[in-house]
Amino acid sequence: MSTEEYPEIEITLNVNGKDYTVKVKPYERLLDVLRYKLGLTSVKEGCGRGECGTCAVIMDGKLVASCLVLAVQARGKKILTLEGLTPPGKLHAIQKALLDTYAMQCGFCFPGVIMAMKSLLDRNPDPTEDEIREALSGNLCRCGSYLRFIKAAKLAAEYIRKGQVYFEFKG
Amino acid sequence: MALSTAEYVRIIEELFEKVKKFTYVGKHMQRWDAIEKILGKARFTADYANLYRNLVYVYSVRAKYAHAKIRKIDVSEAEKVSGVLKVITPKDIPGVNDVGYVIPDQPLLAYSKVRYIGDTVALIVAEDPYIAEEAGEKVYVDYEPLPVIIDPLEIVDPVTLEEKKHVLIHDERESDIVARYRIRTGDVKKGFEQSSVIVENEYRTQYAEHAYMEPEAALAIPEPDGGITIIASTQCPYEARRAISKVLGMPFNKVRVVAPPLGGGFGGKEDVANEIGAKAAIATLLTGRPAIAVHTREESIIGHSKRHPAIMWYKHGATRDGKLVAVEARIILDTGAYASLGPFVAWRATVHSVGPYKVPNAKVDTVTVYTNGVYAGAFRGFGNPQIHFAVEQQMDLLAEELGMDPVEFRLKNILRNGDRTVHRQLLDHGVGLEEALVKAAEAADWYRKRAEYAKQTGTVRRGIGVALLWHGNSIGAEGADYSAVSIIINRDGSITFRTGLTDMGQGAIQGLIMLAAEVLGVPPEYFRVEMPDTASVPDAGPTVASRTTAMGGNATLVAAYKLRKKLNEVAADMLKCSPDDIEIKAPEVYCRGDPARKIRWIDLIEECFWRGVSLQEYGYYRAPKARWDDEVGHGEPYFTYTFGAIMAEVVVDMETGKTYVERIVTAYDIGRVVNRVGAELHAEGGAIQGLGYALMEEIVHSPEGKVWNPNLYAYYIPTILDVPKEIISVFVEAGYIRGPFGAKGLGEPSINGIAPAIANAIANAVGVRIKSLPMTPEKVYLELKRKGLIKL
Repeated sequence: MSTEEYPEIEITLNVNGKDYTVKVKPYERLLDVLRYKLGLTSVKEGCGRGECGTCAVIMDGKLVASCLVLAVQARGKKILTLEGLTPPGKLHAIQKALLDTYAMQCGFCFPGVIMAMKSLLDRNPDPTEDEIREALSGNLCRCGSYLRFIKAAKLAAEYIRKGQVYFEFKG
Repeated sequence: MALSTAEYVRIIEELFEKVKKFTYVGKHMQRWDAIEKILGKARFTADYANLYRNLVYVYSVRAKYAHAKIRKIDVSEAEKVSGVLKVITPKDIPGVNDVGYVIPDQPLLAYSKVRYIGDTVALIVAEDPYIAEEAGEKVYVDYEPLPVIIDPLEIVDPVTLEEKKHVLIHDERESDIVARYRIRTGDVKKGFEQSSVIVENEYRTQYAEHAYMEPEAALAIPEPDGGITIIASTQCPYEARRAISKVLGMPFNKVRVVAPPLGGGFGGKEDVANEIGAKAAIATLLTGRPAIAVHTREESIIGHSKRHPAIMWYKHGATRDGKLVAVEARIILDTGAYASLGPFVAWRATVHSVGPYKVPNAKVDTVTVYTNGVYAGAFRGFGNPQIHFAVEQQMDLLAEELGMDPVEFRLKNILRNGDRTVHRQLLDHGVGLEEALVKAAEAADWYRKRAEYAKQTGTVRRGIGVALLWHGNSIGAEGADYSAVSIIINRDGSITFRTGLTDMGQGAIQGLIMLAAEVLGVPPEYFRVEMPDTASVPDAGPTVASRTTAMGGNATLVAAYKLRKKLNEVAADMLKCSPDDIEIKAPEVYCRGDPARKIRWIDLIEECFWRGVSLQEYGYYRAPKARWDDEVGHGEPYFTYTFGAIMAEVVVDMETGKTYVERIVTAYDIGRVVNRVGAELHAEGGAIQGLGYALMEEIVHSPEGKVWNPNLYAYYIPTILDVPKEIISVFVEAGYIRGPFGAKGLGEPSINGIAPAIANAIANAVGVRIKSLPMTPEKVYLELKRKGLIKL
């Protein structure tokens, strides 16, 4: 069967607080919809098999690899990507903490790492080092910023516990 | 031109002598691109797809065999698939069908034969990526399979290193030997006669994969004049332009290459853009539409260069009092199906083959051969992780034979200022190796732990190991070694920074801004780094070989120095004091000793514009000429070396063979720390990548030449669960007079010493020596069992 024989399906999903209605092929992935139909390119494709974590987004409160979710499975769901993490012009405590710990290298894994940290801190406001390692174990970082991720997650948790969720920034 | 010292050299030396206090250099600073990256706005190559309409998609039809003749190719069925615009075969290539880097041995599209499983036989250009892939299934190739060679020992004899009789992979070259290098120093026969202890072993290292998170991508755009712009994930835009121009048969000035931020490079993106960039470009040329090619992870793994596997035989001799007197080595590097940077890798491995030690007698022979594996090329370390794995274990074994502490034994033999290397190169400046080793031992608490771990019982044991390393900076005798930047001060006082050096995540460009900021007296925030683009940035040479800080840094200092001189003169005239007394601390400019007499930075810039003083400067630096005598392996292969000492602490579970690396201490002599954050991240990142190389990473080929593990599920790289509790990084700043404020490179050296330090730590913990990488639980366990150290 050729690709053109598959009909397009119309779905509605909520992304970063806004409803979108898009037409998708049945084999299209949530990743493709986010990146190419909605232009949310913070969501990266590193492997397409759920092995690297660069496409991680939060769907109905759960961290998912958007390359392993068919677009049609996201119908009616609430999706959060890095673009929707903060009000415009603000940094989230997680982003602030990653800057404070000078964790940035190539940055390709960062959107996924930030979403994984957000998912962790949403359910565990004061994680231990082991819990942080467990929560980020699906996010590969080849530049090797891992030890800084651990420090940053702890620092972000501290910010959030103190009620400092959003920060101003220059630039 | 009879200049004995070029002006740019004089500038670098003057700044090295004069500037001893720093405002920005050596400080912890946020990198220039941190905000766009933390917001997820940084635009990597594949992200550009959204900015172009009417895109076509390029799919590579790859080989079905790792070694076969192509009798016939039939693309007619593929062409019939609705949505397919064009099926490209070799006859469609207007220029030269070759993307080889050092040797023209690598066709863009295979024609008479395929030599490995990643060879591309045709390209499908279609309206949709799924259609392209589907049509790819309908390309029929009539292959005549040939014997597949995966083991390099089928190509060369391990003792004589002569080529064996075999079915040639590169019949057009009439040999599958790619390169040979050698060192002949002193008389090894005599050296071994003087030796009281001799240690001889075989070591093997594996095929390894960069596994950067961003797979390769390229997007080509047609230009009105018939030229083509290619946005590509490349470390080297000017190299990519050279290669793509050749394939298109177009002059350089009609091919424009833009290099967006890279999601990691590590050497892997040195030459792959030549291939993927050329594929996208040719699709654009033939369809007149923007074309995009993006590798899947599987394609990335089989379609770009790997780290060379190595087989090494080392024989070391030392006297009773612990002096190294002779080293003999034979090194075989497997470059897979194509040379890529293989010859240069072999040369670098040869240059460093005896480690950072005084060796009076040496005989080293290196040979690089083709096989039908995935081609091997540049990967952080570039031949050095392999030879250090062997040499540093040899050093520990000698120490053991002599009953000496491994650190003490090394201290007796390391290179110091005033010594000559094995190539008879005089090291007349900053060799900080001894200081690095002493500091590492201190930070790791070496002597106490070494004594303590000797008394362990039980099945879970700790160990600590040491390894030293060296790494010649920049490209040395490999080629023209220059770099360039341009700095433009705009009329509003903001600054534009341009260079063909790229940021693959390593942060070296931040270092360049800090250097320029230091000389100009303006904060780094004034700078905007322009994206590397052959239409605007100067050709800075490739972003490889740990050369960005050292070489690009010098070019930056030259440009900034020239600008500063002009600014000082105009300011002196405005403030009525001597140009030598002008202090620039933007936004203010004043006279030294009289800070009340001041003007604003913006006014100084405006005045320069009115006076017609150009504030655009080009900085150029050419490295001192490298010398290398191929016959004996003597000369001055690199102008300076980075040195380092690594200590790794491991916990080995004897019942499972599993090694956990608990702590790594790195001490690097990098001359001068410029970008401190970047240096620390390299020490950490190199350690983690080295840990993966040491314990878990390996690309495995089937006997038929297929890659068993072309994904991140079966090619293991360290996750956050695998990394040590702590990585301590110490820096030694011994200063190199012709480096920017004394700086040397750290990009690659940061991986060289990790695997051998871990190997030596495992030996210290449980008494077995693993001589092949990766040191998996299976290997450790089986070795423990073989030696009767575990009964299970």
